Amino acid sequence: MSYELNQLYDSVITGDNKTSHAITEQALAEGIDPMKLVNDHMMPAMDEVGRRFEMNEYYVPELLLSARAMKASMALIRPLMIQFDMEPIGRVVAGTVKGDLHDIGKNLVAAMLEGGGFEVFDLGTDVAPEQFVEAVREHNADIVALSALLTTTMPSMKLTIDAFTAAGIRDQVKVFVGGAPVNQEFADEIGADAYRDNAVSAVAHAKQCMGVST
Amino acid sequence: MDFGSTAVTGIHASCVEQLREHYDLENRPVKICEPYQMLGEVEEDLAEVMGIDTVGVVPRNTLFGFPNENYKEFRTPWGQVVLVSEHFNTEQNPNGDVYIYPEGDMTVPASGQMPSNGFFFDTIVRQPEIDEDNLDPEDNLEEFGLISEEDLKHYRDELDRLEGTDRAIVATLGGMAFGDIALVPAPFLKHPKGIRDIAEWYISTAARQNYIHDVFSRQCDHALQNLEKLKEVLGDRIDVVFLCGTDFGTQASTFCSPQTFIDLWAPYYRQVNDWIHRNTNWKTFKHSCGAVETFMENFINVGFDIINPVQCSAAGMEPHQLKEKYGDRLVFWGGGIDTQKTMPFGTPEEVRRQVLERCEIFSKDGGYVFDSIHNLQALSPVENMVAMIDAVREFNGEN
Repeated sequence: MSYELNQLYDSVITGDNKTSHAITEQALAEGIDPMKLVNDHMMPAMDEVGRRFEMNEYYVPELLLSARAMKASMALIRPLMIQFDMEPIGRVVAGTVKGDLHDIGKNLVAAMLEGGGFEVFDLGTDVAPEQFVEAVREHNADIVALSALLTTTMPSMKLTIDAFTAAGIRDQVKVFVGGAPVNQEFADEIGADAYRDNAVSAVAHAKQCMGVST
Repeated sequence: MDFGSTAVTGIHASCVEQLREHYDLENRPVKICEPYQMLGEVEEDLAEVMGIDTVGVVPRNTLFGFPNENYKEFRTPWGQVVLVSEHFNTEQNPNGDVYIYPEGDMTVPASGQMPSNGFFFDTIVRQPEIDEDNLDPEDNLEEFGLISEEDLKHYRDELDRLEGTDRAIVATLGGMAFGDIALVPAPFLKHPKGIRDIAEWYISTAARQNYIHDVFSRQCDHALQNLEKLKEVLGDRIDVVFLCGTDFGTQASTFCSPQTFIDLWAPYYRQVNDWIHRNTNWKTFKHSCGAVETFMENFINVGFDIINPVQCSAAGMEPHQLKEKYGDRLVFWGGGIDTQKTMPFGTPEEVRRQVLERCEIFSKDGGYVFDSIHNLQALSPVENMVAMIDAVREFNGEN
């Protein structure tokens, strides 16, 4: 089956991961520039998904579907970007902090950031401060995205930021925090750079931080 | 006031210990009545001193599929010695993470994990590979069978135990929750089949609605049959039934549109509530965290009498407006104190002020049961918990 390239945009919006994967595979086989797929089709699609979410046309299940479709494409594109030294908008280290095993919110933010053109290193859940420090150094991250769902694990966010300071890398990264019990006041208190209450606005702010207009 | 009657109005074991100590009650290990969230049993002496007006009857098996019986000691990762069921079998990895097993069977993969610095378990998702073309709703129905004689006997025994209590009896009826995300991974099953991954389930509510309808409709058939039998046992000896803990709200929004709720959930909720209201005098209790103001009208329309936990910290959940718009048709059971901020991080005076304010708003013209917004969580300072209890007394003119 042959696809039109603009179906990539639709497949991400409707969350059709089989089609997004197939179109990407076909397009790459035809020699289309992978960055063109990202910039001209997938990023606009994820922008539209974000818009629908903000307008209450899309909810978490639709975001998850679109993120999955986008990831199916990125799985093919990412190795080529690395192979040909194509620069992402920025590099993000993401994870749920120590003691916390919840990852839906973190996964959504990671996927939306990836769909927004960032390279994301997802460390998973229950991530210790030293693991974040190591990952920031290893990947030369621009942004660290910390997630917590529990009041009992919110202190791990502060411990992680303190670990960046102790390691002398606090000024190298912007620290984003998010999760149900987290708010702006808490973010200010622990010295985070940004708090956002949903994945869509987190991506918009991450782009701003990298000097990309949204 | 309710604390301890259900798994969504409970108190973490560490907090129960602190409260027992504060009120100078007999020094003995706290019993874990709900192992998933490590809730401590609110025993009669504590209930009395706190001024609690409810008592709970819960299903025979816990969320890990075993009954609470023949208690043994267990040292928690936070160092507290508690009493747990003899089936509460755990293993610790070198990092100190604790793993727990379905039905206490350590020969099958663990179904729950508590991090070394955690205070309760989270489910371990055991998702078999999904064959999109051969999905069978029966696979998601293993836990929603017909109620056993053993389970019915358990309810009967529990009610006999509570005979003569002057507290309102809140019974949790298993199998009536449609798509409760805490139950989807089935931590009580040894080998769950079907859709068990949390994200995959949410995706299914948008992309596999026919499958979800099939699951809900067969589950509903069983629920209605079970209600017939439960009614024979419970009769008019109980006051409230906790039916469903499916969360529809996030901190800022809902998990689906009101229309999806109407299409996918409402038909089944309505059948269960209608049966109960036609055949019993029980009041039905719905739990949903989050920003569900836009769902309140639907909760009422499908026949729920009570809403919990009334998460006033979520978007659109302003207490005055909730009471004004829905207070004559819905009982608010919760909303008494914010457990995301005020209770764990506020001062006793901030707790007192919030409790007094919430009582003032929600109890106007009746229809209010005081409760914190979801369980009292670990690391809640004891002085704040006591300030909450004292403030309820102050409001009731008991001080």
